[in-house]
Amino acid sequence: MIRFERVSKRYPGSVVALSDVSFHLAAGEMAFLTGHSGAGKSTLLRLIGLLDRPTGGQVFLDGRNLAKVSRRKLPLLRRKVGIIFQDHKLLSDKTVFDNVALPLIIAGVRYQEIRKRVSAALDQVDLLRKVKSMPLALSGGEQQRVGIARAIISNPPVLLADEPTGNLDPDLSADLMTLFCRLNELGTTVLIASHDIALIQQLNRRVLVLEQGRMNNG
Amino acid sequence: MANIRRQQPLSRRNPKGGLSQPLRAWSRRHVYSFFSSLGALVRSPLGTLMTVAVLGIALALPLGLWVGLKNVQQVNPATDEFSTLSVFLNAGTKTAEANKLADEILSWSEVDKVTSLSPDKALADFRENSGFAAAVDALTENPLPWVLEIQILDSTESTDENGELQLKQQLELLLERLQALPAVDFAQYDLKWLERLQALMGLGATISRLLAILFAFAVIFVVGNTIRLDIQNRKEEIEVMSLVGATEAFIRRPFLYTGFWFGLLGGLVAVLLVSLSLALINAPLQRLLLSYQSQFELITPGFSGGILVLAGGGLLGLLGAALAVRRHLQNLNPS
Repeated sequence: MIRFERVSKRYPGSVVALSDVSFHLAAGEMAFLTGHSGAGKSTLLRLIGLLDRPTGGQVFLDGRNLAKVSRRKLPLLRRKVGIIFQDHKLLSDKTVFDNVALPLIIAGVRYQEIRKRVSAALDQVDLLRKVKSMPLALSGGEQQRVGIARAIISNPPVLLADEPTGNLDPDLSADLMTLFCRLNELGTTVLIASHDIALIQQLNRRVLVLEQGRMNNG
Repeated sequence: MANIRRQQPLSRRNPKGGLSQPLRAWSRRHVYSFFSSLGALVRSPLGTLMTVAVLGIALALPLGLWVGLKNVQQVNPATDEFSTLSVFLNAGTKTAEANKLADEILSWSEVDKVTSLSPDKALADFRENSGFAAAVDALTENPLPWVLEIQILDSTESTDENGELQLKQQLELLLERLQALPAVDFAQYDLKWLERLQALMGLGATISRLLAILFAFAVIFVVGNTIRLDIQNRKEEIEVMSLVGATEAFIRRPFLYTGFWFGLLGGLVAVLLVSLSLALINAPLQRLLLSYQSQFELITPGFSGGILVLAGGGLLGLLGAALAVRRHLQNLNPS
């Protein structure tokens, strides 16, 4: 599902973020991405999510070379990837409902269907009672879960998460991991960037390690 | 956490409506953009109001001038009304002298009719009809001279351009003869006034066209700038929409709609402003025209004119928004 071939990424005027990274994540696989902060985890996720282009090498998503995707087609491919951002990226002037519904609105889904799905997604992250709240009225952990609901609402085949448990207490973190595992069991390819080593070891999944922009195993 | 129900991915959902499914999704997205753009206008009512007011005034100026010209143009007097000459006698001319002169002029072969108007009668008419009664009352002496209105004996039957030219020549000849009389201070024929009016209207038409072009640009720039600020204020929203897979067209659309609304509302304000002004002008204008003994129906922009201004405003707004969007919504995606 996700394949990196000798990928490198250098941001203009700064150090190399990724260098010569190759790995393959099969469809339906679930893996963790670890490394110190600044090791290139976020950069790697951004490349998969089509938020950035690599400066070298090739990234494949669902068999398609992302370098060959035209700008016009980019948004359509982006809808196949649900991303959970470290800083949530919620719209502060819109309700939780509107935030979670955004991917469906963009896809032009019927309103009744949107309502049904938003309820289901919020139910999955245990936030159904906050459907009418504004994001700023929520705690950091709750905002994080709103972001998760938005990422999973359209059931994308690929789910990326950047430190999804960063703001959560241990109980909630464990719940969330269970959620990711269940989504994975239902066929979603999941890649989670995290440095919560304890949690990762509990789950016994494949682990990709980044160190200063290089991947040690994969 | 609640149980997970696996739903089908959106792209693989069974299309109930066959081919019309993408079309329906498309129209739903449009409806969303439509209402979200209206919502944006309503959310900041003061800013919207000020922008619309500026656009309204900008559109009202050329519209007002254009309507004014239309009104002047409808005064299209028949030429024969202008085949008269006005002869102003020297100040202090006695009634007997004036009457004698009138009789003398009437005896000329090319003159059909002479009407004499005494200073007293002229002043009384003016006082009654002009609306300046108070000013007239303030005068200590009558400043008006004797006036003889001379109707020329029209030998030309044709009313075409050639006939008009002949009439003009006749008037010129008569004018020279009248000017030569010692008791005459000043003589003029009203055709000259008509010529000047026509030249003036041509000038007005050109100015109104120039103004229309100028203010059309003003509308484009005002809307463009407003949309630019709107885009800057909603950078966060635009970024998030792009992140979750919104196409550039989807992101642009609400801004284009907003531009269109601004232009449309500006056009509406312009039509209202001009109509209101005309309504206010109408009463004093009718009084003024009564003093010229003429009937006159004031031309307003009317329904079709109003629709035209609204549509034009909307289009200009759309254009302004399109320029802003083109300039400021580039590079949403990595190249």
